[in-house]
Amino acid sequence: MSATKVLRSLLHELRQASPNGCIKDSLAARYILAQYKKYETTDQQLCKARNEAVFLGQTYLTYLSSLRNYNELYKEYHGRGERSVKETADVVGFKLPTDPK
Amino acid sequence: MNTKLMLSALRAVRVSTSNKWQVPALTTVRQYAAPPKRFYKKTSVLYTDGGYEVVLDHRKLKTPKGAPFTVKSEPLAIAVATEFDSQRDHIERSRMHLSALCFTAIDNPNNLNKLDMVNYLLNYMPTDTVLFQYDDERDLKELQKNEWDPVIEWFNQRFETNLQKTMNITPPTITDEDRVKVAKHFQSYSLDTLHGFVYAVDTLKSIILACAVIEQMLPVEKAVALSRLEEEYQIKFWGRVEWSHDLSQQELQARLAASVLFVQLNCSENFVKEKLIL
Repeated sequence: MSATKVLRSLLHELRQASPNGCIKDSLAARYILAQYKKYETTDQQLCKARNEAVFLGQTYLTYLSSLRNYNELYKEYHGRGERSVKETADVVGFKLPTDPK
Repeated sequence: MNTKLMLSALRAVRVSTSNKWQVPALTTVRQYAAPPKRFYKKTSVLYTDGGYEVVLDHRKLKTPKGAPFTVKSEPLAIAVATEFDSQRDHIERSRMHLSALCFTAIDNPNNLNKLDMVNYLLNYMPTDTVLFQYDDERDLKELQKNEWDPVIEWFNQRFETNLQKTMNITPPTITDEDRVKVAKHFQSYSLDTLHGFVYAVDTLKSIILACAVIEQMLPVEKAVALSRLEEEYQIKFWGRVEWSHDLSQQELQARLAASVLFVQLNCSENFVKEKLIL
């Protein structure tokens, strides 16, 4: 993934994560943008592995997106306790005696 | 006399409890503690001379043990502040891996020292996931050979060890020399950082894969995919169940990414050397 793509996805994920959907005064967004400015000429930090900054960005992106996906799956499937009689009847296609035929 | 009193008292207690005992109700609803409500509006980061602190409105964030939350790295504090900010109505502590890792490192609830943790990590080596390969099924064997062998090779080259994979149930033999080499590498990290390593190894069940991710040889998704290689292979035949396979995959990815971020942000130090303009 190129550095620009990582930035765009990171900002997208931050927007999704923030409760009001706005990252105008988000600390993380500001920090990431500042880092991008800093490594504008080269994202290969001196004397260290290649593409170190981009790797960090990607890792954070994975963190945010995996957590979001996990929460979505959890919300859809997590147990809500016992089903009511009506729900059970609906699952197997029966009707309650009180329902109209 | 005293013992007699005691005995009669005990009997009285026993009788009174047995009278109160009731048939347990037949409901099987599990009672969980309600998660704490989000009690703050804004989160931010403060710099004090000890390090960076996270502030929720005007309150300072504290660890579960009550110690003040301070970390040395600014991006780590910002990430924790963002995580607290991304909680909606309730604070879901079980899904805040990065904060949890920082709390564990600060509190050190099990009172571990460096030697304990290095030993814990070393004990993972003989049962490392990628060292146990399976040769009864040809496709799976090929897959493991193509995917896992390069990582083992990389590890051997990086740490100058000689780890060999095993094809049956007997664990691979690991020489003392290799153990010392790997132990030396882990000893060079600080105690905080080792917490991150343990978290990564626990997630992946493999010390080789964990080192490969932390040394930036593999991206996080790839490492998680490699640690679940056989599961993915079997999924091809038996089908993918979203609420089990996908859920565990996403959780492992989030956990691993948190530990990798924690380790890297903890040990990266930026020295900026500016040109002198005279």
